[in-house]
Amino acid sequence: MRAVTLRDYKRRILPVLTHVQEHLDNPLSLDELARLAYFSPYHFHRIFKGMVGESVKEYVRRLRLERAASRLRVGSASVIEIALDAGYESHEAFSRSFKALFGASPTQFRRIRRVLLSSTSGVHFRQGTTVQHFRTLRRGESMKVQVEQLKPMRVAYLRHIGPYNAVSSTWDRLLTVMGKDGYLGGSPMMLGICHDDPEVTPPSKIRYDACITVDDDFQPVDNIQVQVVAGGEYARTTHTGPYSNLGKTYMEFLGQWLPRSGRELRNAPCFEVYLNDPQSTPPEELLTDIYAPLAAEDEAARVRRP
Amino acid sequence: MKTATKVKSAKKPVPKAKPSEKLDLYSQYSKEYAASPTPGLVTVGAATYLSISGEGAPGGPAFTEAIGALYGVAFTVKMTRKFAGKQDYVVSKLEGLWPSFKDGEPVPDKEQWPWQMMIRTPEFIKPREIEEAVAVLKKRGKGAGADRVRLESVEEGICVQSLHVGPYEKEGATICAMKSFAESKGFKLRGVHHEIYLSDPRRAAPAKLKTILRHPLEAIEV
Repeated sequence: MRAVTLRDYKRRILPVLTHVQEHLDNPLSLDELARLAYFSPYHFHRIFKGMVGESVKEYVRRLRLERAASRLRVGSASVIEIALDAGYESHEAFSRSFKALFGASPTQFRRIRRVLLSSTSGVHFRQGTTVQHFRTLRRGESMKVQVEQLKPMRVAYLRHIGPYNAVSSTWDRLLTVMGKDGYLGGSPMMLGICHDDPEVTPPSKIRYDACITVDDDFQPVDNIQVQVVAGGEYARTTHTGPYSNLGKTYMEFLGQWLPRSGRELRNAPCFEVYLNDPQSTPPEELLTDIYAPLAAEDEAARVRRP
Repeated sequence: MKTATKVKSAKKPVPKAKPSEKLDLYSQYSKEYAASPTPGLVTVGAATYLSISGEGAPGGPAFTEAIGALYGVAFTVKMTRKFAGKQDYVVSKLEGLWPSFKDGEPVPDKEQWPWQMMIRTPEFIKPREIEEAVAVLKKRGKGAGADRVRLESVEEGICVQSLHVGPYEKEGATICAMKSFAESKGFKLRGVHHEIYLSDPRRAAPAKLKTILRHPLEAIEV
C-alpha cells in the first residue's frame, strides 16, 4: 500500500483551482469545493489555505480581479460594467481593491495595460485553461508534530456562538460553575473544539465548545452539556504565543505539514488543549496543543482518489 | 498587609483593585518580583500563600499530587468566590521553598528533598474558605492531598534575587553569584531558598525556562 504523498494532495487541490476559475460568476460553496477535492469539510479550508497560500475566498477574489484586468485590456466594456461583473457594487470599491492588488487603478491600467501579477501559488486567471500545477510553501517540514493514540474523553462543555475572540466570557461562565462544584480538582484538561473557521464563517455564527474533562459522575446542569471527544489517532503540535495567532499555526499544520506526512484526516473537528492559565501567563508564552484527528492508514487509501 | 498603610509615605499607595476588576498580586507587587540575570536586592513584605509541604524528587509522584492538590484548592476557592459575586483575582504563579538548599547547595539525594509549594493568594481569603473547598473537592473524589493545603503568611524582608534562565539543575552558578553579590553588600544568606516559576516546564525547552531565585538575607556582624 502506497502512502499518500504531497503529489496526491496537490492533485486533489488542482480541480478546485480550475473549477473556481471556470465558475467565477457562481456562488461557490465550501462544501461543494471540499467534495471536489475529496477532503472533509472540517479541514478543507485550512488545507487549501496552507497549501495555496491564500484562502478560498481570497483566491476567488483575486481571480475575479485578474479577469477584470484582462477585460479592461482587450474590450471596450466600461469600468463600472467590469466592476459589477467582478462582484463589486460600486466603482470606488472596485478601484480600491484593484489598486491594492495591482498597484494601479483600473483607469491607469487601461492606459498602461501592464501590471505585475503575484501570488504565492503562481496560479493566475487564464480563460478556458486547466490549472496544471501550483507552488506550495515548504515551512511545514520543520514543524514538531507527534502522532498520539488518545482514549475517548468525556467533557462538560458550554457552546459559544459568536466571534472567536469573545470565547473568554464563555470560559468564565463554564469555569465558575464547574469550579465552585469542585470539578477543577484533579487537574482536568481544558479543551476548545472549533466547529467553524473564522476565515469562512461569519463571526456571529462561529460555533466553539469550551470543554473540561469530567468523570462519569458528572451530569449536565443548566446549559452545560456533556459530549465525548472521540479517541483514536491524532497528530499534535504545540502553538506558542497568543491565541489570536492560532490560525497561522493551523495553516502550517494542516496545509504544509499534513500533505508531507503521508497521512489523511478523519471527518471530525480538530481540537485545542490549553496548557496554561491565560490570566497569569503573558500572551507570548501561552502554550496550546492542536490535535488533528488522523484517518486510519487503510481508510486513507480507500478515500484517496485513484 | 497592604502597602497603603495609615502612615503617610512619600510613595503613592498601591491602588486597590475595584471589585469589578481582577486583582493580580503579581502585578500589584511587581517590585517584589523584579529580577534580572544580575543579582539585586529586594524587600519583600508579609505575603499570604496557599501552601503544601512534602518530600520527594521534583516531578515525582508525591510532588505532582501536591501541585495538583494546590491548584485544585486554589481554583475551587477562587471560583466559589467568583460565583458568589465577590472580588475576583488571578491565581498567581507557582512558587516553591526548598529548605534542602544549605548555603545554596542542595543535599545530594533528590528523593529526600523537602519542599513547600505555594501560590500567593489575596489576604482576604479565610481559612474557612479553604476548608469548604477541600470538602467540595473530597465530595467529588478530587481531594487527594487537598487537606494538606494551608494558608500561610511569610515575611522574608530583605532578599537577594536573580532571574535564572535555563534548566533547574543549573541553578548552582546563579546561586553562587547571588551569594557573592549579597556578601559584597554586607549580607549573608539566612532562611530558605525560594523559587518563583515563570515558565511552564511541560513544553518549554529547559534552556529557556525562566525562574526567579530569591534568598532572604541578614547583615554580617562585624
